[in-house]
Amino acid sequence: MKVEVFALLKEYFDKQFFVPDLVEDINSLKDYLGQQNPEATRILSSCRFAVNDEFIDTSYKFKQNDSISIIPPSSGG
Amino acid sequence: MTASASSLPAAEANTYISALPLDIVGLLSSAHHPQAGALVVFSGEVRDNNLGMAVAYLEYEAKESLAAKMIHEILDKAREKWKLNIAVAQHRIGKVSVAESAVVVITASPHRREAYEANRYIIDRIKHEVPIWKCEYFKDGSKKWGGNCNCEDFTGDPNKHVYETGSY
Repeated sequence: MKVEVFALLKEYFDKQFFVPDLVEDINSLKDYLGQQNPEATRILSSCRFAVNDEFIDTSYKFKQNDSISIIPPSSGG
Repeated sequence: MTASASSLPAAEANTYISALPLDIVGLLSSAHHPQAGALVVFSGEVRDNNLGMAVAYLEYEAKESLAAKMIHEILDKAREKWKLNIAVAQHRIGKVSVAESAVVVITASPHRREAYEANRYIIDRIKHEVPIWKCEYFKDGSKKWGGNCNCEDFTGDPNKHVYETGSY
């Protein structure tokens, strides 16, 4: 699956990257990314996740071609 | 929960997210309405200081397709809830200088109470929920992604915000 990150998360990960298919849901993605960069763990815990412009919850199982967006807390306005 | 695509067409997304300076006067002049006795304009502007530091400028980033879709839905909700004649919102992306407008919300209704309340509702939800982020560039050369919504510290839930207290 392809992952895209935004804002502050770009200081911890590439803007876009691929994760192995064995990452199956939000929790395993957080674990995987936390291993890649332990400093990002805390921020990841406050992020929302979206696939194809729809927010997903922890029950969602990723599909092979999903494009996953990791959305840090908003700071617009 | 499923993830099914329903993004807005690009042309419509530009209505809500703009890389160009926001045309407040233009937006205002197209927001007059014969049945509206009240029109409220909110402009969120870039301050020259934050947390005791001198701000040079801000840079905004958005997950544009999702941000546009969410603003569209927030405006629909506000129109329905307060029976608005007009509900308009536009957020800037890219570099925004001090004293420029970063976000504009316009609401119009027959009487002022609804226009004020709906305007506040719209800007609160845009600031806290829509995937738009500011990076502050300070005059001393430092930068900070920030002003993040920290409602979770108070509500214990990243999707529950301090203004969701039933006051609307």
